[in-house]
Amino acid sequence: MKASTYGRWWQFVALLTLLSLVLAACGADTGQPGGSPAASGAATTPAGGEGSPAASGAATTPAGGEQGAAGNGPKLNKDVSGEITFWHFWGSPVRRNAIRRVIAICNQQLPNIKVSETFKPFGDIWTANIAAVAAGSGMPDVIVEDRPQLPQRARDQVDENLQELAARDGIDGSAFWPFTWKQTLYEGNTYGIPYETDVRVLFWNKNAFKEAGLDPEKPPTTWEEVEQYADKLDKKKEDGSYERIAFHPLIKAGTDTFGYTNGVNWISDDSKPQLNTPEAVETVEWVKKWVDRYSGWSELQKFRGSFAAPPQDEFMSGRVAMVTDINGYTSQLDFYRPRLTNAEGKQEELSWGVSFLPYSKERSSTSGGFALSIPRGAPNKDAAWEFIKCATSPEAQASWARDTYAMPANQAAAKDPVLLSDPRWQFFVEAMNHTSGGNYLPQYPNWKEQLEQRYEKIWTGELEAKAALDEAQQAVEAQMKK
Amino acid sequence: MAQAIQQQDVARRKWILRPATREAITGWLFAMPWIIGFIVFTLGPMIFSLYTSFTRYNITTAPVWIGMENYQALFDDPRFYISLRNTFWLVAVKIPVVVIASICIALLLNLDLPGARAFRAIFYLPNVLAGVAAIFLWRWILAPDGLFNRALAVFGISGPAWFYDPLWTKPGIVVMGMWWIGGNILIYLASLKGIPAQLYEAAAIDGATGWTKTRYITLPMLSPTIFFQVVTGIIGAFQIFTTAYIIAGQGSEDVGKGGPSQSLLFYVLYLYNRAFGKSGPGGFQMGYASAMAWILFLIILAITLLQLWLARRWVYYESEGQ
Repeated sequence: MKASTYGRWWQFVALLTLLSLVLAACGADTGQPGGSPAASGAATTPAGGEGSPAASGAATTPAGGEQGAAGNGPKLNKDVSGEITFWHFWGSPVRRNAIRRVIAICNQQLPNIKVSETFKPFGDIWTANIAAVAAGSGMPDVIVEDRPQLPQRARDQVDENLQELAARDGIDGSAFWPFTWKQTLYEGNTYGIPYETDVRVLFWNKNAFKEAGLDPEKPPTTWEEVEQYADKLDKKKEDGSYERIAFHPLIKAGTDTFGYTNGVNWISDDSKPQLNTPEAVETVEWVKKWVDRYSGWSELQKFRGSFAAPPQDEFMSGRVAMVTDINGYTSQLDFYRPRLTNAEGKQEELSWGVSFLPYSKERSSTSGGFALSIPRGAPNKDAAWEFIKCATSPEAQASWARDTYAMPANQAAAKDPVLLSDPRWQFFVEAMNHTSGGNYLPQYPNWKEQLEQRYEKIWTGELEAKAALDEAQQAVEAQMKK
Repeated sequence: MAQAIQQQDVARRKWILRPATREAITGWLFAMPWIIGFIVFTLGPMIFSLYTSFTRYNITTAPVWIGMENYQALFDDPRFYISLRNTFWLVAVKIPVVVIASICIALLLNLDLPGARAFRAIFYLPNVLAGVAAIFLWRWILAPDGLFNRALAVFGISGPAWFYDPLWTKPGIVVMGMWWIGGNILIYLASLKGIPAQLYEAAAIDGATGWTKTRYITLPMLSPTIFFQVVTGIIGAFQIFTTAYIIAGQGSEDVGKGGPSQSLLFYVLYLYNRAFGKSGPGGFQMGYASAMAWILFLIILAITLLQLWLARRWVYYESEGQ
């Protein structure tokens, strides 16, 4: 009797437990859909990496004051109202502040729209968004998308097609750098409005130039000149290892970037891979020459492994005299103001300049960057669209660029007089006319992996350049047929 | 009237269950939370992934049935073989090293020398550190001019570039893995403590010395524990991911490349790269990744069954043969 009472009591407890578990499971508000399994700490910094500019003298115009940037943005519809969520990955103090200012500008222009911004780590933001879109809920109204990946996102139906809205409001892309607009298109429709971009340029160390007896105001311009300069700039230690190397196309850049400076167009305009053209082979052989110059691939790996984040990187430590990096690197140099030990053992500040990448056929470079998109199924599409129009308009874009020193996608903003007062900025704007956004191949967005998998074999001498590129070409063609 | 009462009685009797049945229901109820969790979070997704492995599926659009295409593509995929080779290498090297090292250390700790307690704690300490932070730490220790190589330099040995040299990346991971053997040591130690002392006493009377005792008493008595550790160790080594993800993605390198010369492209890392679009044609190739997951499941299953079969030859359970 007693036992059975206990039994019933236990059954009751077990039932209660079960019930509460089920209730908890159903009532739980699933916060974040699965992000990347590893810590986002492993995520690489986005192009346009951080580094707070040392208290830049650029005073921002008071909100509602005179417009710094020339030109006007698209017409905004002030009647649209609602609350929207905005996901971005700009968590550093500088960029967080910059994005809040952009939102403040848009709040003034769109009084009925309330924007709440959410920081998502760079490693998680797109995975989280895709998971939310797949689940049909929990996606933001506006998200910062990686522009080169937009066509693929469009194909996978992650983001809304914005073509109709853009056409309605007279946005045809002419306000932006041409390649940034092109990157947002999939089958002729735009899936995001360009927001920020960058350009890869050459940073050179004037102290090293002086020491090597070169004119510190004359950076090399061609492939040949870089090699001549390198003969003077390379510096060996007593044990034969390099204390300083002049330049390496594989440090902070890559073969495909320098391919463009040799007239290579990896993917033709009608979406055909052309990875094994004579120009491409020539580029790869030129890079191989640099690898061999500095004692081969594994030595380069070790050399690269001995550097860390700024100010312990290749350039700020003075160990590589010329590096390729994006314009945003400027703010890091301004912030750290690295000091080097000169030949006399004295400390002196690193003075540096920016120039075009050394080329063999034409000035060229590559650019990445971001666009603002509306995830498919976003709850408040109309308000999201008005906010995107405002955030990509000259005024908001100029504010963003002044705060971050990043290249705005909007051309009028890039020519903001406050920004142009810096001669380096003038150069970056000029460099924007000699860059492209890389190549997209709709049937095989990851086409570059076929090159990446073979480069190392070329550097180690396992494969000949021509044979390796032929292989890559065949592999890409085979994948496209699938 | 009476009939009605009888009917009620019958009805009531139907509802009074036998104690055994009632006990069974209680048991199932207690197990319910886990069972529901298993069905919702493990079995369900497994069945779904079996289905998606026969489709082209990128999460955001509906799966498209393609039959065996994913499996066929797998067997033509050079990276599938590279990742398998890398993973088998790791299993074949890491497991013996870890088993031998942890048994040796457990035997030492079992001697009850002064300070053994402190060492037990010291060996276990790394296990309380979060994995990712510790991996970052080791990336730094095994840097080309890191602590490890500087220590070697003291003895006049010039250390390799570890995670930058394709020949040394996997050995680097084995070296790093040695840091976490504290858990295994403790399990062996517990087993050692459980070996009856009279066995050793009897052997001593028969004139057995240290090594003979170890060979004929300690190791056979440990064999069930060794077996368990080997099985779980192999399953764990096949599933290596976090370490490879962090080391292969160091600096600004793309994890899609799988480290220097693809030497860290382990099976699950490649699966991840396929699932999240850093390798392969592009987009989230969940179908392909699911097919990979099922192949891995079959490989691990086959190896585990083989081990169970082999175990009959070398694992000694006390309850047997008496």
